[in-house]
Amino acid sequence: MRNYRLGRALAHGAVVSALAVSMLNTSALGQSVDLSQWSPEYVRSIAGTEEYNTAEQCGAVTPLDYEGKLTFWYQGVFEGDPDLLRQYYKEFFEAFRTTYPNIELEEQALTYNDLLDKFRTALLGNAGPMVVRLQILGGVEFASKGYLQELSPEDVGWKTEDFWPGAMKSVMWEGKAYGIPTNNETMALIWNADIFERAGLDPEAPPATWDDVVAYSKQIHDTLGISGYGLVARKNAGNTPYRFMPQLWGYGGGVFDEADPSPTYEEIRLDSDASKQALQASYDMYVRDQSVPVSALTNQQADNQPLFLAGQLAMMISHPSDYNVMLDLQAKATGTDQEKAQTVIDNMRYGLIPTGPDGKRAVVFGGSNIHILNPEYVEGGEVDEAAAKAMVCFWTSPEWSLKMAYAGSNPGNLNGFKTVWMKERLDSIKFLDVTTAMLPYGIPFPTLPETPEIMNIIIPDMLQNVLTGAMTVDEAAADAAQKVRDLTEGGGL
Amino acid sequence: MTIHAGHAGAPRKALPPRPSVLRQMWTSRADYLYVLPAIVVMLIVIAYPVYYTIDLSFFKTPPGLQLKDKIFVGVENYTAILSSEVFWKVTLNTIIWTVASTLIAFVLGYAAALALHRDFAGRAVLRAILIIPWVISAVAASYIWKWMYHSDFGIIGQVLVQLGLTDRQPNFIDNVHTVLPSLIVVNIWREFPFAMIMIMAGLQTVPEQLLRAAKVDGASAWQRFWHVTFPHLSGVSTVTILLLAVANFNSFIVPWITTGGGPSNASHIWITHIYELAFGRQRWGVAAAYSVLLFIIVMSLGYFYVRALSGNEKKEEGP
Repeated sequence: MRNYRLGRALAHGAVVSALAVSMLNTSALGQSVDLSQWSPEYVRSIAGTEEYNTAEQCGAVTPLDYEGKLTFWYQGVFEGDPDLLRQYYKEFFEAFRTTYPNIELEEQALTYNDLLDKFRTALLGNAGPMVVRLQILGGVEFASKGYLQELSPEDVGWKTEDFWPGAMKSVMWEGKAYGIPTNNETMALIWNADIFERAGLDPEAPPATWDDVVAYSKQIHDTLGISGYGLVARKNAGNTPYRFMPQLWGYGGGVFDEADPSPTYEEIRLDSDASKQALQASYDMYVRDQSVPVSALTNQQADNQPLFLAGQLAMMISHPSDYNVMLDLQAKATGTDQEKAQTVIDNMRYGLIPTGPDGKRAVVFGGSNIHILNPEYVEGGEVDEAAAKAMVCFWTSPEWSLKMAYAGSNPGNLNGFKTVWMKERLDSIKFLDVTTAMLPYGIPFPTLPETPEIMNIIIPDMLQNVLTGAMTVDEAAADAAQKVRDLTEGGGL
Repeated sequence: MTIHAGHAGAPRKALPPRPSVLRQMWTSRADYLYVLPAIVVMLIVIAYPVYYTIDLSFFKTPPGLQLKDKIFVGVENYTAILSSEVFWKVTLNTIIWTVASTLIAFVLGYAAALALHRDFAGRAVLRAILIIPWVISAVAASYIWKWMYHSDFGIIGQVLVQLGLTDRQPNFIDNVHTVLPSLIVVNIWREFPFAMIMIMAGLQTVPEQLLRAAKVDGASAWQRFWHVTFPHLSGVSTVTILLLAVANFNSFIVPWITTGGGPSNASHIWITHIYELAFGRQRWGVAAAYSVLLFIIVMSLGYFYVRALSGNEKKEEGP
């Protein structure tokens, strides 16, 4: 138990140090991309300025004629992703096999909500894969337990400075790196301008604050009888924290102090007045105004997408890829449904995520990281290090970290922004500017082993307790804070 | 073969001493050798997991530690479970779920079996249709019901609105008061065909001549059912109810797929809660303690099941 606390203390220290470093002028640290200049214009100015040869670069890490075997699990595409992404995943594995024809690859795709459960279970039986690509909140949990090997960008031919400082924090445990970011994402607010206009709102102006979201949602519902905002409060689903945490942080709340410049994760703030305000906003929309989908408690974002396309939902938080998802869904529609869908697509607008009452804007700094496992937890008890590094290098290369994030997020390797494919992407993927503009507002989830439970269970539970009337806002906030307290102290049910 | 009946007045001969268990085993060693592979497999796949679960239930498994680094806490997991509000809420849900699902599925299945026992046109087709809920994949069925219940555009709600029975789409699964009854309906829909098949099989054993004799004696249809059919089906009914109860106690797919135990734990039953504790929250020790409690209850039901089966066999053998 003492070791556990010591580990936590060391981790806190490491995180504080990492944050302090990330607060420094990034160009001074030799960042590949000057993050201090970050803006949509800057991103456009660097796109297409560099050329990269993935085979050559990864060949320097693992020879291209290397013979080996690799097992690989990854968080793959799911029902809410566009077909475009499916195509890139297919091309990625074809390219890997062409580049490394003598590596026998066994890959397995799992959805976001299934991957953690399956991976945990496999590890208990020492039956994990050699390499895994996990959601950003998962890495620390497995690194802290000793399942993962130390792995930094330098191990596969890149530099740590090639990656977002915030993303690198998510792979750090006790001062050491245990993975490499593959992609990083920040979402945006999407609205239907036609619905706004019919509801008497300015069609080209998104709600500026979360209070505005509540008011707009009510006005839309009262005027048109449809749902205003696409609230998501399902348990055990990543969609819930990705949509509620920006609201919580915007109001000035948090689980801990993760939204502060130098978080220590020691103070629990779920029951603070600011957190309660955020919770109250959800209550107002769901219970008081009934202006959001009733099915929010069982829905995921994938359930909001058809509602939005059918013109039954006015606002939602999501990726730029939702534009492509709408195009895919429209292609499957028939008759007048197709025309209706086209009207929605024509009226689809993207904007920055609203701020809290004090002007604070925040979004989850999301994404995924790739890790190599320690041999004793792998099926067969061996890890083919060279084959594993080949895969890690390939996915985190400027080319593939960009292509695999083509429609939905952004490349983990910052050099991806300089590639010709980024230039092509800026021209072909609508609303990309908005999501890249949101990146500087990104706040990483707390880098603690307990974070998956906090985000996937405790936060949704808190929301559900309020939205179902099982608890008041005060009670639900206090209950959630107590659960986090119990969890971090190693107790509780 | 001659049987010598004992004489009442004759002095009793002392019975030879009963051989010890080991001696009996040695005498029947060949028989034991035949079943040895099965016993070994059972020890591996049943006895060891049971032992391991019981052992694990005395340890704490914090999220930052591997399972092998678990911390011994004695009976703390059991006391934590029994003193938890959620546990009692989930227990009440489990009792309602199990009792309601079992009894209603049984009654519906019984009624359907009686109806289908009579000869009428289209009986075979109807029987095949009624079996469909039981044979289709539980996962697929759960997703279909989830969409039918959808609180914003589910077809059941739409039909009720169209029929003018309600002004707005009813909230079936996003409401703490209606979610459990809604899921019980799905479970009954899935399970009543099983009860129907069991009772239909039982009905084949009811002696036709007894029913005819009762009819000749002027017994009404209800009297023939109550005094002839029903007693003959008591054995198969007990077994069916016990099998349904065990299945419902361990029923995972319908509540997990449809609501994941939500909203606000309103549709969590023991088995889904155990799954969430273990795989969602990595409280392996607590989940193991929970499983031990569940094991004790299911074993108790199993005891009654075996007794019911033995009772049936004795009845068949006669006095």
